[in-house]
Amino acid sequence: MASRRSTRQDGEHGVRFSRTLFIALLVVSGALIAFDRPASRSAPFASFRAGFTDVSAPLLDLAAQPLRGIKNIGPYWRRQGELARENARLRQQLIEARYWEDLAYRQRDRIEVYEDALDVESAAIEDRIGAWTVADPRGPFVRARLIGRGSEAGIRDGYPVINLYGLVGRVYETGRRSARVLLLTDLNSRVPVMADRSNARAILVGDNSEFPRLDYVGRAPDIEPGDRIVSSGDDGILPRGLPIGEAVATREGGWRVRLYSDQAPVDFVWVWPYHRVTPPDPETEPGPDGLAGAGFVDGAVPAAATDTTASETAGEAVDDAGVDGVATDDDTTEGGR
Amino acid sequence: MRKPTDRNSPWLAASGCILSVIVALIVQASPARLVDGLTIMPTWTLMAIFLWSGVRPQFMPPIAVFAIGLTQDLLTGAPMGVWALSYLVSISAFRFRGEDGMPRDMPPVLLRFGATLLLAHAIAFAAGSFALEQLADFQPLVIEVMASILMFPLPAYLVLRRRRSRGSGFIGG
Repeated sequence: MASRRSTRQDGEHGVRFSRTLFIALLVVSGALIAFDRPASRSAPFASFRAGFTDVSAPLLDLAAQPLRGIKNIGPYWRRQGELARENARLRQQLIEARYWEDLAYRQRDRIEVYEDALDVESAAIEDRIGAWTVADPRGPFVRARLIGRGSEAGIRDGYPVINLYGLVGRVYETGRRSARVLLLTDLNSRVPVMADRSNARAILVGDNSEFPRLDYVGRAPDIEPGDRIVSSGDDGILPRGLPIGEAVATREGGWRVRLYSDQAPVDFVWVWPYHRVTPPDPETEPGPDGLAGAGFVDGAVPAAATDTTASETAGEAVDDAGVDGVATDDDTTEGGR
Repeated sequence: MRKPTDRNSPWLAASGCILSVIVALIVQASPARLVDGLTIMPTWTLMAIFLWSGVRPQFMPPIAVFAIGLTQDLLTGAPMGVWALSYLVSISAFRFRGEDGMPRDMPPVLLRFGATLLLAHAIAFAAGSFALEQLADFQPLVIEVMASILMFPLPAYLVLRRRRSRGSGFIGG
């Protein structure tokens, strides 16, 4: 009896507080923190988290419904005066967009002709999957959002997520009916990007600020304030050319990016099914023409057909001539860092 | 003779406790940024745990506090165990002890909640930084603490008023 009392504390309205249980829970918490690290999360932890979000997503979606209604109230009353001007501006943009639409169709036809001539296949572009944001925690540890669709809708890990204005992030935890999107601003986000004007390469690194920074830009980067930053596709995970934001110079001489996706609250998003480019198998026997036979994997763009190879991303030395003359010595050096 | 707290239905109080914690967890994870100008989110979950551990400590044993923290970790995408550990330690360190439980005056409740809040966020920062293998973002934590300090008097006032009107340590039934 004495030993029993030594581990329990009575006298708080009959509440018993087990020290043994308390210590056990502390140990369990410590173990969870030690083993559930975002950078190296094991499959059981990931599937458990995905299962939990599957269960909670419908409830969170239900809770988000009134918030969506409230969201529309404020801007509606506040922006009544601006709506007419905005409407006129949009009409003007629509006229200009028709020119670009026509140009895009013509370019698509030309690309198809070139691809037929070169006998290459583009990455399959499938229909985008629309999804509502059901949870948007603004915590200190992760910048992620939960969306209300998962693997049942065709969503897989790594797929890019975009909104009306540009890239939002990528899927990193997929459940059956929900998925978590790692935002570009998260500490663990790394996206290879390039300046649209000069093709200067960089890595967009999230640091939990609203303006993620550009790293590995080289000693004399060909970037100017206002340059349009797009995904370079060098990692093979994201497609090339997704709009990301505008380059902004910092006082310290570095570069950051003002994200396009921040122009509106991230509410409705599209997940883009994109099959990542798989690097060729190095042990594949060369074909009769002397070229490696690998490269066409699952209908994806062959590695050799992309502007930069996966090995460049991995930091291996590559011949600049094979990188369409864009990458410089700096690029390969920086990529290897 | 039965204690005053035993006169009320424990089931109703338990339902209130569970409901308030679930609502707090959902609001904590809700897409509040959708609403223009409302990007600040107090730690409603810690408020619920703190108040219930004061008025009905039997509803907030360590295992319940741990489970609530773990649920918050999973809902918000944080590394598992961070909020579970911080809530567990901070509530255990600063919970109300003694026969009367939580006092009926506001200042001591506010002071104790402030201490709980600071300890919880300090532990969360340390544990989160350890899990992320780099320093966690400090600013959201500070904003969360400030927002919680500003918002806590409202639920605390409602709870204390009900306690005073009931003349007992019970709330919710």
